[in-house]
Amino acid sequence: METSVYLQPGYILQHRPYRESSLIIEVLTRDFGKISILAKGVRKPKSKVAALLRPFTLLSLSYLGRSELRTLTQVELVQTSPPLPGLALYCGFYINELTGHFLHKYDPHPEVFQLYQACLVQLSENSAIEPVLRNFELNLLDNVGYGLSLAFDEQHRRPVSTAKKYIFSADSGPVEALNGTVAGQTLLALHTRTLIGSETLAGAKKLMREVIDFHLQGKPLKSRAVIAKIAASLQSKDTPREVVGTDDLA
Amino acid sequence: MHGKDLLGQLIQDLCCLPGVGPKSAQRMAYYLLQRNRQGARQLANTLLSASQTIGYCEQCQTLSEQKLCRICSDTSRDQAVICIVESPGDVWAVDQAGAFKGIYFVLHGHLSPLDGIGPDELGLDKLTQKLIAGTVDELILATNSTVEGEATAHLIAELARKYKVHASRIAHGVPMGGELEYIDSGTLAHAFNGRKEI
Repeated sequence: METSVYLQPGYILQHRPYRESSLIIEVLTRDFGKISILAKGVRKPKSKVAALLRPFTLLSLSYLGRSELRTLTQVELVQTSPPLPGLALYCGFYINELTGHFLHKYDPHPEVFQLYQACLVQLSENSAIEPVLRNFELNLLDNVGYGLSLAFDEQHRRPVSTAKKYIFSADSGPVEALNGTVAGQTLLALHTRTLIGSETLAGAKKLMREVIDFHLQGKPLKSRAVIAKIAASLQSKDTPREVVGTDDLA
Repeated sequence: MHGKDLLGQLIQDLCCLPGVGPKSAQRMAYYLLQRNRQGARQLANTLLSASQTIGYCEQCQTLSEQKLCRICSDTSRDQAVICIVESPGDVWAVDQAGAFKGIYFVLHGHLSPLDGIGPDELGLDKLTQKLIAGTVDELILATNSTVEGEATAHLIAELARKYKVHASRIAHGVPMGGELEYIDSGTLAHAFNGRKEI
């Protein structure tokens, strides 16, 4: 196992204070997967590094150590990422939590790093947030080995049809049923990553929620609850939901 | 080093202070007992009464022994401008700067979705009540310049927009007396994005 790593690209997923003046950061690196790094002394008043150690910015990190917790030696800003606007910022936290949950420590996933990077760019471009989140969720699951079978009904041995209804389970895929809750159209849209239309998006959100909850095995997603609360506090009785648009994850 | 006697207990208890480890705790304990027993007694009494009587201001949630803190009860201050800060320490810092003559609102933290800290934990319902009451002209968002601080500021700004109250965010960039050469790239980039005409 390497003892020192130089200039590794990475994004901070989460940080928490450690002792008086240090920080433990959880980083998604390109070549080494998710790792924890101790950043010593960065919470001192004169620290120059504190301004750099922010989530959602691409950093170049140098660190060393053999233990589970590496020690940060140097950090540089690779490029200033465009700031996430408003709602996308809250969703950024959700993306971070989700990535943190599904990746194991020291398990390299360069593709997930690419996906994460692409997702942040899309979020910052202020396009429709929901399809971006759904695509990220799907691709993340694919990459960590929980890929979904969306386009083929194994039980009846035929492809999913847009006109029919299905019952979907995370481990066995879609099964055609008259009383199904998932529209074939939603499944195919998820499969081709082309989510358009409010009905499809709502269906996809519900489906992905169930799948993610299934894989998390009862672990709660804290950011999801907080975003729901934020949405509720911004919602006023006379504003229709679509106008405020904060209902994305809730 | 010290057993479970009273001295050991005192040293252990002193360790609850920030920045105080066993070594400095031991030094404090010896100093108080050997050289300044009067001071020790006074410290104990003050600590006891402070921990019992100091609570939170009803209006701004900062630390105060009265129901209304010194700043909120000061009639010469502009009660229609509220500065939102993360901690009581920030109230002190902003007040020292002397540029602000309104009142404060202390959140006691920041929005942190990953730790499950949302609007309810920050007492935003109390702030919302104020906004609904219509006595507020402007909110100045002085949360920290971290991603969480920005998220908090954004959420409160949205709330302000909903109730049609003007909200502004404090500027951040090059510090006074700062030389550009030594400033980190993140701050400098921010300073450029937030430049203003002169």
